[in-house]
Amino acid sequence: MKKVSILLSSLLMLLTISAYGQTNDKLVSSKTHMKFYSHTAVEDIEANNYASVSTINTETGEVVFSVPMQSFEFEKSQMQKHYNSDKFLDTKEYPKAKLKGKITKLSDVDFTKDGKYSVLVEGELTIKEKTNTITEKGTIDVKGNTINVQSKFNINLADYGITFAKGKPSTNIAKEVEVTVHSEYSAE
Amino acid sequence: MKKKLFKIASITALAGLIIGGGAMLYMFNMPHRDIQSAKVDYALTSTQIVSEYLSDKDAANEKYLAADGDSKILEVTGIVSKISEDFNNQKVVLLKGNNDKAGVNAVFTAETNTNASNLKVGETITVKGVIRSGASYDDDLELYENVILEKSDIVQN
Repeated sequence: MKKVSILLSSLLMLLTISAYGQTNDKLVSSKTHMKFYSHTAVEDIEANNYASVSTINTETGEVVFSVPMQSFEFEKSQMQKHYNSDKFLDTKEYPKAKLKGKITKLSDVDFTKDGKYSVLVEGELTIKEKTNTITEKGTIDVKGNTINVQSKFNINLADYGITFAKGKPSTNIAKEVEVTVHSEYSAE
Repeated sequence: MKKKLFKIASITALAGLIIGGGAMLYMFNMPHRDIQSAKVDYALTSTQIVSEYLSDKDAANEKYLAADGDSKILEVTGIVSKISEDFNNQKVVLLKGNNDKAGVNAVFTAETNTNASNLKVGETITVKGVIRSGASYDDDLELYENVILEKSDIVQN
């Protein structure tokens, strides 16, 4: 009788571990914040997006962000319309941008142990179906079941086919825009 | 006669300048569209819009998204399946049918948040908001993404 119960409990434990391990492979976040910031002598422009979805595969180190482009909000509605238009990001034609990367030294990160880990992510950023390779620094902050990822990097608008030859945009929008990323995952 | 013509011309020019300048100033400072007081373009269920997107994403984007970002205003009815909050402290209510692969994420605002605070998982509600993006399966995420509806509020029946 005792043997059976030991067998049963160990089986149960095994099952729990395997189930836990499976859900743990991929962290999913829909609590995200992405910010564009453009600085010129004329004005500073900022746009915020809280609707991206992101995953981190803790086994392979793969990081993915899918960004709904129409969710970027500007202070001025005129700016927002301009940003969405076919002269700028053409969000009707290209509703989503994507960041797909890999943590370079995954062995440095222990997703099960509290701590702040500095990482390098190598990958590709696709905006308007134009893909460029990126290598960016970020931090992974593990606290209990909550994992926060933060990163800040610059992108060159011309790399994504966004250029302004003349007029207000050419003077008021920076050629290089700062992107801030923050996402929160919970290991369930 | 010449003097009079000059006077008329300069008054016209001045008026033009004021009107033009005013229009430009108005355009520049024009407020965002008030979604809640605007007319509803489509009223449908979360299941309907999700299946529309999953069967033909491009046709659905053509129908619902606007090139200037002022996309269609929807009234979506569905079952509350999850309530959360985003980094902007806005309530996010997922409307999703029990057998659906994806749902509609309705994002509330600072002004409408309180209307979502008493919602319970399992109840059927109708929300009004502006669509920002559609539902689709993403190969890299390896999951279905929900329709995103922003500036949402609950529609009282």
